[in-house]
Amino acid sequence: MSIVVRLEEQRLDPEQELGELLRQASGDGAVVSFVGVARPTSKAGKPIEDLVLDHHSTLTRKSLEDIAVGAAERFDVNHVHVVHRCGTVAVGQPIVFAGAAGGHRRAAFDCADYLMDRLKTEAVFWKREVGAGGSEWIEPTDADYADRDRWG
Amino acid sequence: MKVLFYGRLSDLIGRELDVNAPAGCSVGQLRSRLAAEHPQAEQSLRSNRAKTCVGERLVDDDHALDASDIVEFLPPVSGG
Repeated sequence: MSIVVRLEEQRLDPEQELGELLRQASGDGAVVSFVGVARPTSKAGKPIEDLVLDHHSTLTRKSLEDIAVGAAERFDVNHVHVVHRCGTVAVGQPIVFAGAAGGHRRAAFDCADYLMDRLKTEAVFWKREVGAGGSEWIEPTDADYADRDRWG
Repeated sequence: MKVLFYGRLSDLIGRELDVNAPAGCSVGQLRSRLAAEHPQAEQSLRSNRAKTCVGERLVDDDHALDASDIVEFLPPVSGG
């Protein structure tokens, strides 16, 4: 079992992360990855220039570790890989990479899904969309909490 | 005591405040005082999804505070 968790202040390269996961998963039959990307428009349809992720000096990293370890313990996978940006993320740039690898696809799909549902509601970040008209803090929606709660 | 704010609360109140609170003041009492002094932040301070952290441990509103504590108010978090 390997668990990779990183908090990146400058850059997240999904291809590099997937390559690393594939190398670690050389004996596995299934590798699943998800990449979250900064959207160009807000829910209200306003254009966004940047997404800013405020974070905590210790709790943020710990929350990522707790989520990754929880996923590794819950599913029949051999590798869990989570990399998350903090700071300013330009529109179109990756925010998060969540990956899982194991013997078979179902557990790997479920693991990546679970990682994202918990990251959306429990990872210690505060997100702010910045556009020409100012900025707006983004908090989880009821649907985000419902997605997380379906895992029990 | 030093009080730190994150996310939306840091915009509404500022990143850091020094507060003279009486010995044994609870987190809930501090929250009420801050809400009264910063009415623009009351809704965020009282959100049932907000958390409070002392010494990097999550605490509830009954937790008694010491003058040397660093108290952190965390609005609802969201990654991904």
